[in-house]
Amino acid sequence: MPTFNSPELLPGTLYLLVLRTLARGPLHGYAIARRIKEHSAETLQIEDGSLYPALNRMLVKGWLAAEWGISENNRKARFYRLTPIGRKQLETEAKEFDKLIQAIQLVMKTV
Amino acid sequence: MNRLKELLRRLLYLGRRENLDVVLDQEAEFHIESRADELQHAGLARDKAMAQARREFGSQSRMREESRVAWQIRWLEDLTSDLRYAFRALRRSPGFALAAIFSLALGIGANTTIFSLTMEFLFSVPSARQPERLASIQLAGNSHSPMPMYRFVRDTHTFDGLAGSFEEHQVNWRNGEETSQLGVYWVTDNYFEVVGVPVVIGRPMQPGDRNVAVLNYNFWQSRLAGDPYAVGRTMILDGEPHTVIGVLPRDHRTLLGFGFAPALYVPVHDDKAFVAFVARLPEGMNRQAAFTRLKVIGQELDRNFPNRDFHWTDDIRVDAVAGLERLKSLNMIPFTAFFGVLMVVVGLVLLIACANVASLLLARASSRRQELGIRLAIGAGRGRLVRQLLAESLLLAVLGTLSGLLLNFWLTSLLSRVQLPLPLPFQLHIAPDWRLLAYSAAVAMASALFCGLFPALKATRADLNTALKRQELQSSRRLWNMRNALVAGQLAISTLLLAAGLLFLENLSRSTSMNPGFDVDHTLWASMRLVPAKYTTPEKTQALVNTALDSLRALPGIEAASIAHVVPLNDQQTNFTELQIDGGRQVQVHYKSNNVGPDYFRVMSIPILDGRQFSATDRAGSPEVAIINENFARLLFGNASPAGHRIQYPQGESVSIVGVARNSKYFTLGEENALAMYTPYAQGPGTERLNFMIRAAEFPPGLVKVINRTLGELDQSAAIETKPMRDALVLALLPSRTGAAILGSIGVLGLVLASIGLYGVLAYTISRRIREIGLRVALGASPRNVLWMVFRDSFLLVAVGITIGLGIAMVATQPLAMFLVPGLSPTDPLTFLAVIALLAAVALAATIGPALRALRVDPMVALRYE
Repeated sequence: MPTFNSPELLPGTLYLLVLRTLARGPLHGYAIARRIKEHSAETLQIEDGSLYPALNRMLVKGWLAAEWGISENNRKARFYRLTPIGRKQLETEAKEFDKLIQAIQLVMKTV
Repeated sequence: MNRLKELLRRLLYLGRRENLDVVLDQEAEFHIESRADELQHAGLARDKAMAQARREFGSQSRMREESRVAWQIRWLEDLTSDLRYAFRALRRSPGFALAAIFSLALGIGANTTIFSLTMEFLFSVPSARQPERLASIQLAGNSHSPMPMYRFVRDTHTFDGLAGSFEEHQVNWRNGEETSQLGVYWVTDNYFEVVGVPVVIGRPMQPGDRNVAVLNYNFWQSRLAGDPYAVGRTMILDGEPHTVIGVLPRDHRTLLGFGFAPALYVPVHDDKAFVAFVARLPEGMNRQAAFTRLKVIGQELDRNFPNRDFHWTDDIRVDAVAGLERLKSLNMIPFTAFFGVLMVVVGLVLLIACANVASLLLARASSRRQELGIRLAIGAGRGRLVRQLLAESLLLAVLGTLSGLLLNFWLTSLLSRVQLPLPLPFQLHIAPDWRLLAYSAAVAMASALFCGLFPALKATRADLNTALKRQELQSSRRLWNMRNALVAGQLAISTLLLAAGLLFLENLSRSTSMNPGFDVDHTLWASMRLVPAKYTTPEKTQALVNTALDSLRALPGIEAASIAHVVPLNDQQTNFTELQIDGGRQVQVHYKSNNVGPDYFRVMSIPILDGRQFSATDRAGSPEVAIINENFARLLFGNASPAGHRIQYPQGESVSIVGVARNSKYFTLGEENALAMYTPYAQGPGTERLNFMIRAAEFPPGLVKVINRTLGELDQSAAIETKPMRDALVLALLPSRTGAAILGSIGVLGLVLASIGLYGVLAYTISRRIREIGLRVALGASPRNVLWMVFRDSFLLVAVGITIGLGIAMVATQPLAMFLVPGLSPTDPLTFLAVIALLAAVALAATIGPALRALRVDPMVALRYE
């Protein structure tokens, strides 16, 4: 797994974050990283370089597809979008994640 | 499914590996520049912005590396690098590589050829649309049923079509001045439609077609010279013009299979014909459901066509038209077993070949000990090394398989062209297909494992200390190391193969020289097939027979001529019935029967031991008489003379015995104690096929032509073929010849491979013992001592191998007895002696080379070797 800056991400969450970010439409790598940072109010910071191996692993699994396009700053950039398999994966991962969080919260409250 | 797609994506990546690096670099560049733009926007100088963006991005090379790993298929890349390494290693020792590949090529070539032959012969798929939906149907246990029954079942419209066929029909083809006989697949006019038989030229047969013909490709090529205008041409068949409407593809396979390939398909319009049924099952109807429907139809048939001997509902069968199920339904299991035996035999050959490669690899492993020792010492995992050594044997196996397949293509194309002297038209179309591909792949993998696993395990077990020393100083003096065991095993197997091969060669020579009990050197057989429509009554046929016999007898050089219903060793007619003797006791008998004319026994030189021959007075209407053979006479009457006794058939008719003929062979050379009964030709049923048996003291050139012309003048529409009886024996000799050819050549192949193995091991042992030999010579050993040293090793190996092999052969050849002529035992001592002599001679030859090498060892060189 890639390494992340604090706070540490739970294993597998990077996939979930990327899938979620792409759910609204295709983005290039830089935009994905920025979105994650912004939306988490700068709490979640990914070391930028480690995003790409994760994207490639997701390409291999068939969750994402990639194609070249022109970015908003007029540069050639590689855009990633969700495939139908990826969309399904997002649903299951999101559910799993909710369950996990609930379980943790339960423990936190009772103990 | 997802896994598979994932693998596919990874495989696609392999093709554009360089591309990914470029993509990743561009992406990283874009990322960093975009970040730098942002920072610059926030007020940073461009160079500082770029520096910070790079820092935030982290290591670019790690990003590249980890992304690449995401796409890699680890095992495949390891395998390719192992194979590349193996290829280099093999190229460094071409002698070893060639010997190994050659051995495997022979073994795999023989193996896959027999596999191809077996597949084509037993499991070929008929040329039909969706053959799995076709079913062959039998009513009342009869393979063929009369046309009216066919029409009745067809018109119930239970199936998506029901067709009928009679496979062994024959017609006379009048071609210019010549009339010849052709094998015809007689089919109902909807046959092509129901079965879905493709044609390559013209059109298939259609319902309503009469007097048309569809040609077999080979017939079109060989007899019509591939005439491009063949379609539309008229052929005179049995006196009637038929229009050629189409030509079958070259690889057409009939529904009957087994290489059966008649010259023509012609529609059947004879209401007296019997046809086999083939149905196309409607979508969703399985054979069980079809059976249930047929039971109901059978009851209808019983109401409409009552038969006093059986019910149509009896023994209804619905069978597959291809595959193992069909073989079972046709009761072809013994036949299948024969091919099974062949597969085992070629499996043994492959085993010998693999043993060769294994022993070569073992030898190589010893000489690579040092290399492997070093690699182990610096930390290579044993599993990794084993995998690498296995890659080498895999490469050998793949190369061996490829060369073996070349051999296969050559041999199978020979087999496809072979013309067997069978009474039925026969043609195999062996072509490489996915089954051969899958089988070869499996054989390659199995031989790679078999050849390589043990040597690889052994090589990597090397204990580091000895391995790292420059040389293994003392070669192992244990005689029964793995290599020697392999060679002894090879010799044992080839002893077995050779024993089987020689047994069949001996069998062939005995059957060729065997006396069939009648004269084959002064007799000729003229076969004449009449057009049935021209001979509507037995009297007409009999009149022609009499004229023909008279004209034949009048020819110069002809001593006698007669006629027979069955030509011995070419056809048979068997009866299984209960006979009543002189109105008293009843005997259950199984005997061969024949209808023969007067003079038959004189023509064939079969002595009449008791009573009389048939004469011209034994004609239709006169008292029925019979001549039986010695075996039959002994069974019925012991030592008493049978002449004058009467035997009665269950139906009531009776015949009186007038003579006893000496025993002879009737259908096969292998048969023993066969019972036989002859009845006068004139008292038997007339047929369209006349077999004239002719005796001539010598065969002047042109005699065959004269006979053909003489008979041809009697009826131009008749198909005539004359040959000396000696030539007509080919059919009887076919099993012995085939057996001798196949097992003989396999035996030789095994011997060649085993002798290569023996040579290899001896040569290797000598090369390892050069120092020892040098020392011995230096200490005064004579050349004789040295020679003895080498020959002793060879002799021990050969003796052990042969002993084990003979022991196995004694038992394993027992089942072959059923293929051998009487009097030849599977454990024929002469055969076994020959095997020993042959193997010993070959072993001697294989030892000479290494022995000479040992003699040439120069003690000074040998001692300096270290």
